[in-house]
Formats: sequence, structure tokens, C-alpha cells
Amino acid sequence: MTEHKPSTTPDEGAAAPDSISRRGFVKGVGGVSATSLLGTAALMTHSDKAEANTEWAEWFQGNYRLMTQEEKDEAVARLERRYSAEYDKKVTVDSTPAKKGVLFGYALNIQKCIGCRRCAKACVKENNQSRGDQEIEWIRVLRMEKGDFEASKMSDGYPDSYGIQVGGNAYSAAGVVLEGESYYEPDKVPEDDAFYMPIACMQCEKPPCVKVCPVRTTYREPDGIVVVDYNWCIGCRMCIGACPYWARRFNWGKPKLPKEDMNPKTHYLGNRPRMKGVVEKCTFCIQRTRKGRYPACVEVCPVGARKFGNLLDPDSEVRKVLAQKKVFRLKAELNTYPKFFYFMD
Amino acid sequence: MQPNKQIIMRRTLNRPACIAVLCLTAFCAAAAAGDKVCFESREDASRVVQKDLGDGLKNVKCSDKTGAVLWWGDPYDGTQPMGDMPIEANYSHGEAVVKPRTEQLNLYPICGVACHNGTFPPPVEADTPPRKLTMHRDIVPDSLNLQHGRGAIWCLDCHDAKTRNKFVDNEGHLIDFNQPQKLCGKCHGQVYRRWRDGIHGKRIGEWATTGKKRWFVCTECHNPHDVQHGERNSGFARLEPEAPPILPKGMDNADAERMGH
Amino acid sequence: MKKLASFVVDYWAYVFKGGPKFYAWLGFLGLFVLAWLYGNVMQWTQGMIVTGLTDQVSWGLYLANFVFLVGVAAGAVTVVFPAYVYKHKGLHDVTVLGEMLAISAVIMCILFVLNHMGRPDRLWHMIPFIGIYNFPGSMLAWDVIVLVGYLILNAVGGFYYLYKKYMHEPLNNAFYLPIVFIAIVWAPSIHTVTAFLIGTMPARPMWHVGMMPIRFITTAFAAGPALIIIVFTIVRNNTKFQVSDEAIDMLAQIIVWCLGIALFLTMSEIVTELYHPTEHSLGLEYLMFGHNGLNALVPWFWFSTVTMIGSFILLLIPGIRKDKKKLPYICAVLFLGIWVEKGMGLMIPGSIPTPIGEYAQYFPTTIEIFNSLGNWAIGFIILTLLLKGAIGILLGEVKYATE
Repeated sequence: MTEHKPSTTPDEGAAAPDSISRRGFVKGVGGVSATSLLGTAALMTHSDKAEANTEWAEWFQGNYRLMTQEEKDEAVARLERRYSAEYDKKVTVDSTPAKKGVLFGYALNIQKCIGCRRCAKACVKENNQSRGDQEIEWIRVLRMEKGDFEASKMSDGYPDSYGIQVGGNAYSAAGVVLEGESYYEPDKVPEDDAFYMPIACMQCEKPPCVKVCPVRTTYREPDGIVVVDYNWCIGCRMCIGACPYWARRFNWGKPKLPKEDMNPKTHYLGNRPRMKGVVEKCTFCIQRTRKGRYPACVEVCPVGARKFGNLLDPDSEVRKVLAQKKVFRLKAELNTYPKFFYFMD
Repeated sequence: MQPNKQIIMRRTLNRPACIAVLCLTAFCAAAAAGDKVCFESREDASRVVQKDLGDGLKNVKCSDKTGAVLWWGDPYDGTQPMGDMPIEANYSHGEAVVKPRTEQLNLYPICGVACHNGTFPPPVEADTPPRKLTMHRDIVPDSLNLQHGRGAIWCLDCHDAKTRNKFVDNEGHLIDFNQPQKLCGKCHGQVYRRWRDGIHGKRIGEWATTGKKRWFVCTECHNPHDVQHGERNSGFARLEPEAPPILPKGMDNADAERMGH
Repeated sequence: MKKLASFVVDYWAYVFKGGPKFYAWLGFLGLFVLAWLYGNVMQWTQGMIVTGLTDQVSWGLYLANFVFLVGVAAGAVTVVFPAYVYKHKGLHDVTVLGEMLAISAVIMCILFVLNHMGRPDRLWHMIPFIGIYNFPGSMLAWDVIVLVGYLILNAVGGFYYLYKKYMHEPLNNAFYLPIVFIAIVWAPSIHTVTAFLIGTMPARPMWHVGMMPIRFITTAFAAGPALIIIVFTIVRNNTKFQVSDEAIDMLAQIIVWCLGIALFLTMSEIVTELYHPTEHSLGLEYLMFGHNGLNALVPWFWFSTVTMIGSFILLLIPGIRKDKKKLPYICAVLFLGIWVEKGMGLMIPGSIPTPIGEYAQYFPTTIEIFNSLGNWAIGFIILTLLLKGAIGILLGEVKYATE
């Protein structure tokens, strides 16, 4: 049922002599001289010979954004070979660039969200996150109280000699607050006294994570998606510290991804399987959206709370939401300018 | 198409293993063969069988916990063109497909022919008290007290009295079961307009305004016969949620977040 | 060149001529290095899953030690500054020992950063031109520059001074003094930049306060001299080198001043945050009082507060401050208290609750502790060796052969 033959590609690492750029030359020389010891050590941890050969060239590759088209093709071919061998199926690594005239936007209707968490699970089905005891989920659904005001609490206030200073109904959460619950487990959702708000990467127009990255491995693509070049990330976790929405996750160990669960249609900047020690996060399903399809979370939502489209197209559903509904951005006071909007009917 | 289904129905009626009248043939056969059956929207009204599309790709991936479809490999699998939809300014003209509702309805093949046989029922006096339906009790929990419209609507306001496998609008035009939005929209106009804009309801497929989308029609999510469902109105029943994320290291339980704030 | 070679050879030959106490100390530290080797191999092969870090609390013991040690490294300026700006004789004689401490502390910082990174094998990605160096955008890039610069300044300045003393030649002040003065300015800057590293993230309200740099500097200038006093006491008691009383007195005074300001800043933070606690105060409330049964950090907070206030009061009393027998113990307690205040009191609760309100706890694993203790041991080994050689030169026991 599954194919074992990896995709046919040009010769591994055998770039034609006149195609080596100056940057590539400097990079190659500098890389070898400065870090060959570390590279050798990296090799020593891999027992499989085929994997070791591909790893060597992969380890020296540069930052994706600065690669020439040939270098990108080589990198993609290497990855396809490695992933296909590792997961026993034909894996494609897409490298479709951003399309002109497209700026992705997202709108989520918290009036409709019932907290079923199917978006979080669909995302995992699509994006090849680690599973089991090292499970990673990019979407976190928060459960918030609707607000509970009772006459019986009126006498619970904090009095001072001139009257009640802090009312008894203080500290009753109502509406969107910081202290939502993540681990709720009711039999049925939605519950009577709660509403739900999913959070994932907001794809900010002014992303704090991009600013703090010391090697510029996370950056904002022209179509608005904030991406991570997993092969360039050094794992310093500055970005995790800087993100106000707790949207980024780290691969603390080697990711556990069973072969049968692996989604073989991947994008270099998106859902290709990651390695230990690198950061990952929602990419608006870049492997699907750059080919024109909705993200997995949008498609699965059973109540149609999630809307997605091109913010530059006035007829798109997300622009219609902005026009007809009143939206808000989470933590707008931090001036991150998210492209993920929340609205209510 | 209808005659084949009738033959299949008669054949399955002879098999004691399958309670054929209540069991949708295709899904019954699939379940009997051990294939996975999941549901897209309403658990009893939007079933789909998991199958391979080739290249290691599945048509759907389902939740082990709830049986809900979590992911579509091919969003257009099993769909047909939506048919015409009244156009207003600003409506997008992308290709629209729907999954036919008729394939999910148990009694649809025999609706028009089994009982009323294309004829009107015998004339009834205006003050004759309504009687409980002997059939359809599984579909309509309380036909004497239909909550849809809170007593202002009854069966034949939506279902055509003569052609029972079609809906009818106020001018007597027949509406196909696969285009329920034309019926629902006659009263729920604002929602219909928002649905047409893509803000209400669900579409899967291509995000571009001119892209091909599979539209989820009204009855895929809402049950007009059971709008209260005892728990929440709008004809939308509560669902079983998926599992919570795993607790991080250093935390044994989630008690701290459940206590008062 | 020959002179330089003989300097190196004579230096290290002297270093390894030690008595039983010396080798016992190195052996003791060596045990921690063995554990460090085990821990680092585990972390290298299995990844950071062997630590207690999570997505919720992703900055832990390693970065806590890093931040503290940057402060200790900066604290070396408390020796250099009075020596060269105020011409304090006592400290002038021991400046180079302070520089040796700075070198060891920065090396420890680098070790902790390497332990903190998920992919240390990809460190070359940070090298400019070969990789990408996000300067001036990323605070981490600034931090790397200032730390490496500080290491170079101290190494060049310190070893130049020692070399000249070894050769019994006068210092070329046109070369040496600029290095010293740049180092004096550079030292507060390393800790300021580290404070900016955490203080420029609006996502972390506990850190995103304007007073973070001054708080860092004042605690650093209390912890750094505390360690230096302990080191000088050991040097006085175990070598022929007599660190003068004035040097230690001046350092103790600096501790009192800076500790006082640090406590004042802590007090003002508590009053400001807790007068009307907002959602931004949740980290501090969690630290001081716990939250819904999650109390792991509360005893640490009160321990560090009591030790810092207690040390401050004791050191205010001149009789105690000048008592060279009691002073090192108070300094040790203070050093520990400030370490807890930086680590458990600042770096860990900064991530709790997460920016979206989840409370999680962090408990370092054995491997993390092995690696941290090992890094400290390596630092102390380097410090011991460098100090021994430096003292040998200062005493005149190590000098160039032809004389």
C-alpha cells in the first residue's frame, strides 16, 4: 500500500562547479573550518548510514530565505529523500513561495465556538506534530466563565469603616480574562456557564518573535505568515519568551511521529516533520493555503466559527466579517497587530 | 436511481442481521465489513466511510475519541454541484458543490412512493384535532408539539403534501432535499444571507473568493425537527469534546485551574 | 615570542605546584565535572527532554544561572572602579584578581548558554557573514557582543598586566589604561543588556519593567563583591599574598550600598504591583503567596528576602562589617540569597503564569542539576588556576628567568 521508493531527484550534493555562489563558497569554507568538530559529533549520533550521508549536507545548509533557487531545490530534495526513507511513504516537500496580492487573515467567532477542540486535533492530523507523551498541539482552547453574580455574595465583601470597598461579587470572572482553563473535560460542550476561545499563532504584522530571533530563523513571509526555518533554528527559545500569545512550541526531544500518522504532503516552512531542539508553531497550514486550500482547523470546525481568506480581497469571507461584524484583537494594547481576529454575532 | 435503491432495500430487508429499514444500506455494509464510519456534523445525519484515495492519502481522518471527522483528504469527495442559488450583489461566483442530503436519509427512497403514493391525503375538517404520527417518530420526537416555530409551523409548511420527498415553498414550488437553504432561507433570511456570504456555516475547499468550495447545507448541521433537543436551541445539539492537551511536566493534575480564580 | 612562551610555561608550571589542600579542592571540583560529563552526554544525545523544562516554563535553571553569573562577572568592576577612578591603593593591588574572576564568570555564562540552547551544534548560524547575526534587532545578539567583548577586555587587560609584572617591566599606560576604563564602562553594560534581554518583552509583564537594569546592577554589585571577599579571604588565609584590609573594607561598603538600593527596589516593586494587583501582577503573587495550591516557589522567595534583609542589617553594623572572620560567612549567605532571588525569584516566575494564563510548575531534573553544578565547578577550577598563577606573579615568585 505504501511506496518505499523516494522521489527521483538530481544527484545529491553534486552542484555544478559554476553554480556555486560566492556566498556558498564562503559559507562552505567558514562552516567547515569553524565547526567541523561539532559536525562530526552530530554525525556520531546517527547510526544509519543513509541518514548520516544526508544529514551531513543538510547540516551545512544556509538560511532558507537566502538560498538561491538551486540551493532550495537541493535542500528540498534532500529532505524528501530523508523523510521518505524515515516514514516509508512518498513524502513531498513543497517550496511554493508567497503569491502576490495575498495577505492571509483569519476570523474566529467566539459566539459560535463550543469548545469541542476539534480544531486542535485536526491541526495535529495535518501538521505532523510530535505525539504521545511528547504531544504538541499548536491550538490551545481556553474555557472562560460567562459571569456569575449572586445576591448571596453581596455580604462577602471587604468592608472598611465607611462601607464596602471590595464587593462580594469581585473576583467573579466574566468574559475574556487571562485565567482561562485549558484542561476542561465535560461530557458535552458547550457548557451552560462557559464560553470558549481558541488561541494559536496570531501571525502578527509586527511579530515580537521575529524581532528577538538572534539568527533570523523565524521571519514574516510576504503573504503575512510568520514561519520558522527548522533547519536554521538554534533552539535558544527567545521567541517563546517574546510571544504574548504563547503560540510557539519547542521540540524538547526527538519528535515521536508514528509512520501511519504522518501526513506526506508537506511544505518546507510548514508541516514537514521537525527535529529535536527546534521551535514550531501554526503556519496557517502554509502547505495547503499556498495551494489554495483552507487550513485544517477552518475545515473541521463543526459550528463554522472559523473564517479564513485573503485580507486584500474585499469579497473574501474574512473581509466580510471585518465589514459586518465588530472584531477585536487579543492583547491589542501590545501593538503586535495580529491578523487573527475574534468576533461575536 | 430510485428503482435500484428499492431493489437494494428489498434485498436487505430479507437479511435478518441488518435492521434494514432503520439502517442506511451503504453504511451498514461498510460497518459490517469492518470499515471505519465517522460523522461529519450531526452524529446520526452525516456519516462517511473512511477509505483510501491512493498514495497513502485517506479521504477522511477521524477522532478516536468521538468518531468525528477531523480532516478531509479530498474535500469534494462524494459531492455534486449545488445547483442555482439566488444571486445578490457581492456574491462570489466560485464553483459550489454540496454533499447530497438524500444519501443520508433512511426513508428517502420510499418517501414519495411508499405511503402517500403521490396523492393527497383524504380531505380533513378544519377543526379536526391533529393526531400523532405513526411513522417518523424517530425523526420527529413530538409531532403534536413541534417546537420549530413554537406551534406556528407544522409538517406541511415545509414538506410538500403530494410529493413527500420534496420540500415546498409558499408559492408551491418544489425544493429538492439537497437544497434545503432555499426552504430555510424563506424565514431565516438574515442567516441565509450570512450563509451565502460565507460568514455563517461552513465551507471547505479553496479559500479564494473564486475558488471551488463544498458548502455545508443547513440540514447537515441543524435538525429542524428537534430544535430544542433538550439542551440547547438553534437545532444544534451538544457534542462530546475531544481530549484535553497533556499536562506539562511538573503538574500532576489540573486542579489549580479549576479552583476559584 | 620566546618571552611570551616562557610566560605561559612558567605560569602554568607554577599553577600546578600545589599542596594537598589545593589538589583536594581541585579533586572535589573534579567530581562535579564527572557528573557534568554524564549530564551533557545525556542532553546532547537525547535533547532537552532530559530537563524539567516545558513549553510553559521554557527558561529554567540554565538561564537563571546565566543571568546571575553575568552579574557576578559585572561585579568585578567593583574592584576595578575604585582602584582606577578613585586611586584606591588596596584595590589597585588586586585588580587583576578581579579580572580573573570576570574571565571565569563569563566562561561559566557561555557554558550555561550552550546548555540552554536546543541545538548547540548549530551555533555557527550566529557567526556574522557565515550565518546571520540579527544585530541590532535581537537583544541576544547584543548580549553576545557585550559578553565576548568583556571576556576579551578582561583577558587582554589581565594577562597584559601579569605579563608586564612577570617581565618586571613598566606598564604601557597608553595601552593599558584605555582597556581598563573601557572595561569599567563595559561591565555595567553587560548586565544592562542582559536585563534588557528579559525586560524588553511585553509578553512577560513581571520582567517588562523599567527598573530591571538597575535592579540587576545593584544585586550584581552586591553578589559580585560578596564572592570576591570570600575569594580574597581564602587567598589571605592560604597564600602568601596579603590582600589588604582596605580592599576588603571598600568591597564590603559597596555591598552595603548596593544591597540597600536593591532592597529598596524590591520594596517599591512589591508596593507598586500589589497595591492594586492587576493581571500583570500574577507572577509576583504566585512567587510570594502561591496560587491555588501551587506553592513551590514561596519558601524560596521568603528565604531570599530574609537573607538579603538580614545580611543588609548585619553589614550595616561597622563592628560586624569589619570583622574579617564573620564577614565571609555573611557574604556566603548573601551570595546564596541573591542567587535564589535571581533564579527562583525572577527567572522562573517570569514564565508563570504563561502569557495566556496557565499556571505550571518547574522542577529541575537531576541531569539539569548535574550540568549546572558542573558548570560552576569548571568555572571555579578555571578561577582557581588563574588566580594561583596571577598570585604567583604578583608575589614575584614567577618571573622571567634573566634578571
